[in-house]
Amino acid sequence: MDSHLDKLPAFVDTIESIKEMIITNIVLIGQVPSPTFKEKRRTSVFMERLADFHVDECTTDGYRNPIGVIKGTSETKPPIFVVAHLDTNWGADIDHYYTIKENSITGAGVMENSIGVGVLVSLPEIFRKLNLSFKSDIVLAGVIQSLGRGNLRGIRHLLKTWATPIRGAVCIESYDLGRINYYADGMIRCEVDCNISANNEWEHKFKPNAILILNEVINQILKLSLPQRPRSRVIIGKISGGFKHGTIALDAKLGFEIQSNSDKMVKSIFNNIKDIVEGIGHEYEVELKLKTLSNISAARIKFNHPLVKSTVDVMRKLDLTPISEPSESELSIFLSRKIPAVTLGITHGEKHQHIKAVAEIEPMFKGIAQIIGVIMAIDSGVCDEE
Amino acid sequence: MTAGCVMKSSWLEKNTFHYSEFNDLGRLVEEKQRKNLTISLCLPTLNEEKTIAKEILIMKSELMTRYPLLDEIVVIDSESTDKTREIARSFGADVYKATEILPALEQFKGKGENLWKALYVTKGDIIVYLDADIKNIHHRFVYALIGPLILFDNIKYVKAFYDRPIAIGKSKIRPTGGGRVTELVIRPLFSLFFPELTQILQPLSGEYAGFREIFEVIPFPIGYGVETSMILDIYGKWGLDVIAQVDLDRRIHRNQDTRALGKMAFVIIMTFINRKIKLGLIDLKEDLFNEMIQYNLVKNEYKPDIFQIQGHERPPIIEIPAYRDKFNKSL
Repeated sequence: MDSHLDKLPAFVDTIESIKEMIITNIVLIGQVPSPTFKEKRRTSVFMERLADFHVDECTTDGYRNPIGVIKGTSETKPPIFVVAHLDTNWGADIDHYYTIKENSITGAGVMENSIGVGVLVSLPEIFRKLNLSFKSDIVLAGVIQSLGRGNLRGIRHLLKTWATPIRGAVCIESYDLGRINYYADGMIRCEVDCNISANNEWEHKFKPNAILILNEVINQILKLSLPQRPRSRVIIGKISGGFKHGTIALDAKLGFEIQSNSDKMVKSIFNNIKDIVEGIGHEYEVELKLKTLSNISAARIKFNHPLVKSTVDVMRKLDLTPISEPSESELSIFLSRKIPAVTLGITHGEKHQHIKAVAEIEPMFKGIAQIIGVIMAIDSGVCDEE
Repeated sequence: MTAGCVMKSSWLEKNTFHYSEFNDLGRLVEEKQRKNLTISLCLPTLNEEKTIAKEILIMKSELMTRYPLLDEIVVIDSESTDKTREIARSFGADVYKATEILPALEQFKGKGENLWKALYVTKGDIIVYLDADIKNIHHRFVYALIGPLILFDNIKYVKAFYDRPIAIGKSKIRPTGGGRVTELVIRPLFSLFFPELTQILQPLSGEYAGFREIFEVIPFPIGYGVETSMILDIYGKWGLDVIAQVDLDRRIHRNQDTRALGKMAFVIIMTFINRKIKLGLIDLKEDLFNEMIQYNLVKNEYKPDIFQIQGHERPPIIEIPAYRDKFNKSL
């Protein structure tokens, strides 16, 4: 392992020497709009680029996740997965054309997840440039339908239908360089819809206001007592509604997530919120619907798992400070299937969720070296030990 | 007279391509090497800091590092006040200020000037000219223009068209047409005077490539008229068969307002008429005026906004001794 680590700083310079190719991949893929459920065009570009870089196999699985395989030297070692989600939060009507300056790439979705996907398709060429080969097959998967209502369907399907064991996995996110995710909280993502009929005014003495009703829902959620252990929280993340300033709102929508490192606690909080929603719906005589958009189970590898320890060593060798947080991404699906995995970020930036998100170019090269270091660690057997 | 009697309609079918016909880059490189050709990409710029890096980077990655189709990327800049030159240099292009090329000559400012001067600083047998403001830049914009030049011996000049172009064959009808100036100015003029040239679907597109031997013997207007005059001159000297056009799919660039397009149209009409006079095809009793006059409403008063065009034109660069010396050529 130490010999792998020693090579890493030199890798950074070699990777930087092909920055044009890496940024080109980021741009050519990132400029193709790919809202969740409409990833087809980006999938095609992903496949074209992989084929162009001469991976040994290039195909899609039954769910249309595009996959490239670089054959390993061993007949017996299970494959290593490297994945990045292809979908973004931006619709096709948004300008996806990127601006590149000396040290930045700016544009919609660049931080979620164009950098990650661009790096993923660049890996075959980066391996060649670094003269690297692996015992395991390296499976490069761009997974679809990850975000929001996508509910990680792409990765769920890919792993469910993958016929052989998987040795370990690295999930790539554009940001933030230094993150190391090796555990996932249990999570339920919900929406509450409040709709008040515009016609039946006679039903109400005072016309109810959808926004105020959701406000009441929020107040009741905030009154819930959440335990410190297991660590639990409710994040109120989205709200929308109403028509215009002087008109009572007839529609409103509230989006939130329940997160906890205990699945039981997630379920319990969900039931409490369900009661709140039903109660307020009755009280105000309005249509109030609670919908579950997605859910994942809590899963983790231990902080002293060899994969985590090796990843931290790789990061430290590259002068990166590891920051560990839970992640509700592809990682959770690997972990729930007992496949050791980590999520890593590639670079720094700003305005991550903004239409003009900015990614820094220069830190990317360390971010990529770190991914390669972890793949090498998995190939050397750190996931085989437990 | 009907246009039909002079139209050589098979040209559209024979000399119109789609970029996908040239996406076997390995083959293009092989053929380039077999013919011992060198190829230069020229990007004329004026304040293009938002798009220039992306163009250089993609071309360098795909058409220099991965497939050695291009031998150089050259930026010819018209005194940009933003960071165009700095950014272009940092991404590995050879950057020149137009004023620094052939400095002993009288200086003009304009796109045509940059294209003309590029002939002096580039080395290629083939020169690809690409506007530097393309938002959806892709390497097809270059390899598709080079493809016909390398693969077909009769083709010497290739023009791009985009987006909503052409219908060839039965049941394959897509709306034709270019931008507003093409449809409102150039196409009517071509229809009136050179019906054959109407087959060039977007004569004003800023993306074209050709052999040096073509570019060095034609004059270059210094401004907007360069594309129009280039087509007229090439058509006049060699005929339509040396020209091809390639569908590049989509091109997204800055939208210009009607007033700006009005100025562009003015210059193009002026260039067109001057060419007709030069070719002896029409005779004007008086000189043309050289000012485009538009009006602004300022504090309830209409004030003229006058845009003056000198109509300067660079001679064929082969006529410049310094060029002949550099490239070891004679008149």
